[in-house]
Amino acid sequence: MPTVTVLEQSCKGVEDCGICTFVCPASLFSASEKMNTAGYVPPQILNQEKCTGCRNCMIYCPDFSIVVQKNADGSNSVEEKEEDE
Amino acid sequence: MSEIMHPLRMKYTREHVKKTTNCPGCGNGIIVQAILRAIDELGMDMDEFAFVSGIGCSAWIPSPLFNADTLHTTHGRPIAFATGVKLGKPELNVVVASGDGDLAAIGGNHLIHAARRNIGITVILVNNGIYAMTGGQTAPTTPRGVNTTTNPYGTLESVFDISSLVLAAGAPFVARWTTYHPRQITSSLKKAFTSRGFSFIEIISQCPVQYGKVTKSGSALDLLKHYKKDSIKIDKARTMDPESLKGKIVVGEFVNEQKPELSAEWTELKARVMEGRS
Ligand SMILES: Cc1ncc(C[n+]2csc(CCOP(=O)(O)OP(=O)(O)O)c2C)c(N)n1
Ligand code: SF4
Ligand code: SF4
Ligand code: SF4
Ligand SMILES: [Mg+2]
Repeated sequence: MPTVTVLEQSCKGVEDCGICTFVCPASLFSASEKMNTAGYVPPQILNQEKCTGCRNCMIYCPDFSIVVQKNADGSNSVEEKEEDE
Repeated sequence: MSEIMHPLRMKYTREHVKKTTNCPGCGNGIIVQAILRAIDELGMDMDEFAFVSGIGCSAWIPSPLFNADTLHTTHGRPIAFATGVKLGKPELNVVVASGDGDLAAIGGNHLIHAARRNIGITVILVNNGIYAMTGGQTAPTTPRGVNTTTNPYGTLESVFDISSLVLAAGAPFVARWTTYHPRQITSSLKKAFTSRGFSFIEIISQCPVQYGKVTKSGSALDLLKHYKKDSIKIDKARTMDPESLKGKIVVGEFVNEQKPELSAEWTELKARVMEGRS
């Protein structure tokens, strides 16, 4: 299973950004109950076992706030897309 | 376990820069990563690059973030500075990243002549349809009829199709994508960074804070949804009539060809003249 980590401190908030909530094909992101030191509410990721490893969240996040790591053996669960349609 | 860091941030950005300068949801951040991913996938080093930008929000894409030589120049003039850098150091990959106001309005003449001369630089034009940094004034890229700070009753002018302009000026590589297409941006940038000629990539990008508010186009997600819904690939667009293309964004690589490049021609000329003298 890929591991998805939200780097909460650099996130600029689900309320005004929220791009991760839009680009995740499995809709795993939602607003968390936390607030970072800049006053933004970072996302939480629920049901990570449903993650396809597509890396959309990492690629689209404008503030380097999401890291997707591949499976422990270095493989990805799915073939990554060549294009965004 | 050691702390997890973003790999591109770790490898290619200056450690003391803790935040991007962009507002929440700004498309500039998507472009930042798309550029760094292209460099990473090509296995290139930041020392092979010089990044040049003008004035505006989008001009903050490379500077101060990128751990490379960055020139943050005057409004409208980054292509002029970049031309100087390229002619002085032709071995460098010289990349301009700046806004639509910067590159297509005040700096428009530099853009068309750099394309015509085929100076071997890459120009990334961030088209958010507005002068964002100064507060949402009408730009030549603002669509006709929308309200802005300077046209509170709607703009009366036609919108500039910059990619077509640069194409007509003779650029050998021209592409347009939106921030909904980060993988395609990276793919086009990889071609641009490894080709010799003038490469132009226009990126339609969301500015939720100025464009979104003054034109009432909505949030970052509203703009991204519009890019997703209304983008049409160039191959398909060529089969459509102008009426059905209204409101659409034509995306793709419009041209990719080889032409004699200016800095290489200069180097050859210099060698020829010097040989004649000795
Ligand atoms: C010579 C000069 N004229 C005007 C300005 C004011 N100014 C600063 S940024 C800007 C427009 C920026 O628009 P754009 O290039 O589209 O960048 P954006 O902020 O939209 O990314 C203007 C007019 C200036 N700094 N210098
Ligand atoms: S990698 Fe893809 S499926 Fe997994 S959380 Fe990110 S966007 Fe969702
Ligand atoms: S896309 Fe990134 S910055 Fe935006 S809300 Fe999600 S984690 Fe935060
Ligand atoms: S004003 Fe617009 S372009 Fe400038 S940083 Fe904010 S969202 Fe981005
Ligand atoms: Mg602009």
